Amino acid sequence: MEGSRITRRGALLGGAALAAGTTLAAPYVHGQTTGGRLAVGLWDHWVPAGNDAMRAIVNEWAQRNRVDVQLDFITSVGNKLLLTIAAEAQARRGHDILAFSTWLIQDHHRLLEPVDDVMGRLSQKYGKVNPASEYLGKVNGRWHGVPATSGSQYKGSEARIDLFKQHVGLDVQAMYPAETRLGPEAENWNWDTFLTAADKCNKAGYPFALPAGTFSDATDWIGALFACYGAHLVDERGNVTVRNNDKVRQVMEYAVRLFEHIPSEMFAADDATNNRALISGRSALIFNPPSAWAVAKRDAPQVAEQIWHFPSPKGPVAHYVPHLPFFWGIWNFSRAKSAAKDLLEYMSQREQVARMVDASVGYDIPPFESLTDLDTWATVEPPKGTVFNYPVKPHHNATPGIAYAPAPPEIAAQMYAQGIQAKMIARMVQNREPLERTLAWAEREIEGFRRG
Amino acid sequence: MSGASMATGAPAAPAYRKVGSLRRERRWALIGAYAALAVFVVFFLLPPFHMLITSLKSSAEIADLSGNPWTVSRPTLENYWALLTHGSYPIHFRNSVIVTLCTVAITMLISIPAAFALARMRFWGSTVLATGVFLTYLVPETLLFIPLFQIIGGMGLYNNMWAMVLIYPTLTVPFCTWIMIGYFGSIPKELDEAALIDGANHFQMLWKIFIPVALPGILAATIFAFTVSWAQFLYPMAFLVSSDQMVLTTGIVSDLIRGDTFQWGMIMAGALLAALPPLLVYAFLMDYYIAGLTAGATKG
Amino acid sequence: MADGNTITARGIPAAIAPPRAGTLQRLARRRSTLAFLMTLPLLAVIGGLVVYPFFYAIELSMLNKRMTRFVGLDNYVFLLGRETFQLVIFQSVLFAVSAVIAKALIGFVLAHVLHTLPARGQRKWRGMLLVPWVIPPAISTLAWWWLFDPSYSAFNWLLAGIGAAPVPWLGDPGWARFAVILVNTWYGAPFFMIMYLAALKSVPDQLYEAAAIDGASAWQKLRYVTLPMMRNIISITVLFSLIVTFANFDIVRVLTNGGPQDRTHLFGTYAFQVGIQSGDIPLGAAVSLFMFPLLAIFAIFILRGVSRRTKEGL
Repeated sequence: MEGSRITRRGALLGGAALAAGTTLAAPYVHGQTTGGRLAVGLWDHWVPAGNDAMRAIVNEWAQRNRVDVQLDFITSVGNKLLLTIAAEAQARRGHDILAFSTWLIQDHHRLLEPVDDVMGRLSQKYGKVNPASEYLGKVNGRWHGVPATSGSQYKGSEARIDLFKQHVGLDVQAMYPAETRLGPEAENWNWDTFLTAADKCNKAGYPFALPAGTFSDATDWIGALFACYGAHLVDERGNVTVRNNDKVRQVMEYAVRLFEHIPSEMFAADDATNNRALISGRSALIFNPPSAWAVAKRDAPQVAEQIWHFPSPKGPVAHYVPHLPFFWGIWNFSRAKSAAKDLLEYMSQREQVARMVDASVGYDIPPFESLTDLDTWATVEPPKGTVFNYPVKPHHNATPGIAYAPAPPEIAAQMYAQGIQAKMIARMVQNREPLERTLAWAEREIEGFRRG
Repeated sequence: MSGASMATGAPAAPAYRKVGSLRRERRWALIGAYAALAVFVVFFLLPPFHMLITSLKSSAEIADLSGNPWTVSRPTLENYWALLTHGSYPIHFRNSVIVTLCTVAITMLISIPAAFALARMRFWGSTVLATGVFLTYLVPETLLFIPLFQIIGGMGLYNNMWAMVLIYPTLTVPFCTWIMIGYFGSIPKELDEAALIDGANHFQMLWKIFIPVALPGILAATIFAFTVSWAQFLYPMAFLVSSDQMVLTTGIVSDLIRGDTFQWGMIMAGALLAALPPLLVYAFLMDYYIAGLTAGATKG
Repeated sequence: MADGNTITARGIPAAIAPPRAGTLQRLARRRSTLAFLMTLPLLAVIGGLVVYPFFYAIELSMLNKRMTRFVGLDNYVFLLGRETFQLVIFQSVLFAVSAVIAKALIGFVLAHVLHTLPARGQRKWRGMLLVPWVIPPAISTLAWWWLFDPSYSAFNWLLAGIGAAPVPWLGDPGWARFAVILVNTWYGAPFFMIMYLAALKSVPDQLYEAAAIDGASAWQKLRYVTLPMMRNIISITVLFSLIVTFANFDIVRVLTNGGPQDRTHLFGTYAFQVGIQSGDIPLGAAVSLFMFPLLAIFAIFILRGVSRRTKEGL
């Protein structure tokens, strides 16, 4: 994406056009040697309109505060964002504000300015942050990043209404209607029902496209599956709990049964494979944000009309829905920390959040549960209300979760990057290794992640 | 070619039946050659052909599974048009050209004198250095880019395409120097002795004798440097963030892939356009390269 | 210093009229200073941007994950004990060796075939065969990946046309390894072809004529004329390609990201996953550094052979 640079003159003109009074509200802009310069690197949104909305929000703030902002949109494709963060952490220079995906706040927290003040004010206004964002954004009780709306996503069910009716006999629209209530069948939307549905759809020639590689789409849904069974490989204190763990056995046995109905190439799938399977009309269900639906709307409208979004199934122990949060962090080597904090707070306000959600056609997820009632999710179509149940809402009684939580983030991040759970499944399904050997392997791998 | 001249020239009197069998043998060899070529041309060109076909399709036709992936039913140039008129593709193209040309120039400026010195003007450590230059390839990019973050950052060149002009020579210079040491080494010693007698100094010797004679080698090195810097991916991926600084390879990936959504038509169009400059360089320079080679052979 | 200078210095006096030892020595000294200056830019680039960061990387690889403590060789020892890393070593060797052999053979055959063609037709064929080498591999690999995609695979479409079952190109470990090697061969073979073609053209025709007069068969010509004349080029090309293939990153990264089950990881991609994705930069550096001794032994061996033959040739 092209970097948009708001020139000082442009900002001044804009500032002059606005009431002069607003500029007085930003004292830090004046009288500082650094001037008001801010370099911001944000996640390059998959919808071009998402970037436009973001640019507009940042521009407004810049004009109001007379700050020169250099705005770069950095894609997460090909690990570009990851590399950029690593580069700036090593070079100790670069942007002031940067977008951080999932685990990176934890990885770099020593170089990140605490933002407890910002989060305190936001929480006062909007209530609690969802648990996955809190787990990832807080280190030793302090916030080192502001959970971002832009880029944060759930990966619930994205399924075909027609195929589910025809082959499973389940009306997903009735199960999760576009209202703040649950349908009659929602109570039974658990992993066992899911298994039957996977079997039926596979027999009908529309197998579920459930990836089981090392990309995040795979890691996220498998993580939620494990959490639904209460199967944790490592506990909160960092002890490896693979051996003699009945819940782990139970979930592994379930996974083996489930993958009888999943095409084998899904073991090498990346984050786009499942999308393509759904868009091409070959699959009845994927776990994904509505990006697949949005592309289908453009390229295969007859498929898009039949897509409905709702939470992933619940398990015997809990109901976790995969969540992949993004954060905005401020480098501690930044020379414009107070301006940066002000911008982040501005971006997190309800009006701004609403604009981002709207521009992204509902894809972006705000970290505050109280903000999941925005209009966009009710109005997007076709079919009308398709993304109503995409954000986890209070009446779903579900929890947004991140894979491998609640293990200590240092260990969890490595298990996540290596996709340990997916590899355990692949060993049993593809290599036909016995459960004991697989568990022993996983234990050895995880032991390796515990070294400091 | 030599075979043909022998077949006609060598046998003066002895049985012309033998000539016939030679000819037939040659014809079979040619048929075999064309068959082998055909096989490999299909293998080599299958993906580019598929790219071309895909680049001519609309995204709806690409997504449509009922169609034939190897043909296009409603060809359109909209992908090329969109690429060249919207977005930053032209900027990335320009950056790639600038970076590559500068890299090639710098590579030559470093390699030619160094190769000359190493091949002809022995000094302490020159043999070790001549061999050791090649060993730099043993240090892979995947290792180097992490320390380079600090070096490039310290120079203030992070997120600046000129950093690429600085780094790329590490990939091109060793091989180019090696090619040139070889060529300079193959030039007969009598030439520089004669030049020395004429009172030429080393620079004149290099400029007047070695560079013209070793032109094929220099062209080969240029082509190599061009290809390598044009195609580099990891370094620009690691060091360039802003779109106005990006080069083609990273620009295509970051502009045309949005999250899990690929704009295949435009990616393919972009890749084919990106292949044009090196293709032109090869088409154009390879002839000089070969001509230079034969010229060198007749002189020697 | 003395060695190199005396050899050349001895050659000159015969030609130049009675030289005095003093001037000659001064000339030699001045010349070696000049030669050093001419190599200085090369030394600066390699020293500053390869050697220095290389040593820095060695230092990095001996730190703990947070880069706060020196741990000596712990990272290396740790890696050697990991199953996944042992797999990576095996796969890198398998990948590099089989891809380089395939590239060298294809390049050699094509160079020969092109060489036998009449000059006019040659250019056209040569141009077509060079196409894989000129498309930036990061992008052409994307195109291959699209050809391998489970839903949209154009190869599987062709297979379906003849009634064959679809191939899980990237889903099955065996096929995935094959696919990765195939794409690397596709991309790299033209490079071998040009290098060999240039070498073939530099073999003097007289040698073949002499061999033909001696009644040598085509195989004998290849064995006793072509191969010895091309030995240096073959060695250098193979060495270069082996190093680059060993360190390959783009192809595996795009096609499989090391999967399924780490069965296609190479040093480069594994280092990236450990260092950047899992945030353990020292361990990642250690993975990359494992390549060095493996290849260095091989490289020194080959390069010594090459420079010995070059000296004999002179």
